[in-house]
Amino acid sequence: MLAFRSEEHVDWWLAARRLGRGASFTLEQAWGLAHAWYHDRLEPSWRRKTAEEAEEVFAGLGLTGDFWRLRPSE
Amino acid sequence: MTVADTDVRLHLMERFLADGRPPSVAEAAAALEATEEGVAGAYGRLQDAHVIVLAPGSLDVWMANPLSAVPTPFPVETERGTYYANCIWDALGIPAMLGCDGTVAASCADCGDPLPVRIRNGEIHGAGGVAPFAVPAARWWDNIGHT
Repeated sequence: MLAFRSEEHVDWWLAARRLGRGASFTLEQAWGLAHAWYHDRLEPSWRRKTAEEAEEVFAGLGLTGDFWRLRPSE
Repeated sequence: MTVADTDVRLHLMERFLADGRPPSVAEAAAALEATEEGVAGAYGRLQDAHVIVLAPGSLDVWMANPLSAVPTPFPVETERGTYYANCIWDALGIPAMLGCDGTVAASCADCGDPLPVRIRNGEIHGAGGVAPFAVPAARWWDNIGHT
């Protein structure tokens, strides 16, 4: 995952490579994700988040919809 | 002597942060007083559990997220040292993991202009950019080198 100055720069970069768009988030949201994911990584008790827990983190940062879904749709 | 996966994981991260590179299987086995077979097994299980990524066809650690064993466009300067991250998410994950300030010397992948991001006292500064994902979250681990 790369960083871009703006959505416009993402579009230009993708168009030059004939790539489709996925989803994007702001670097403020990236910081929220990074903190949720890694703040306890050096703890002996650390474990990977379950799909449900990860989706809760995404949703808490406004990242919702099928793109961010980890569990199969019911 | 058998070795617990958690002990291997913690040793790997500790040495990665101290040395700037992950330990080899032989180095970790010597430090943990374990057999190389035992550590190799743990490396394999940690990869299967999506905790680390080994370089293809080897037992060399490529990623121990958020850290990268190879140079990337995401160097992160912290009071503990300067490390490479796998992506912008992981770059921010390094100060989050260490609980310290950090500066990510990122640049726009399109135009190359500097896009420095600073973490100070748990807050992000200088972050006007965006980070796109190419593939949906459920498929990130199909190829973690391309998300």
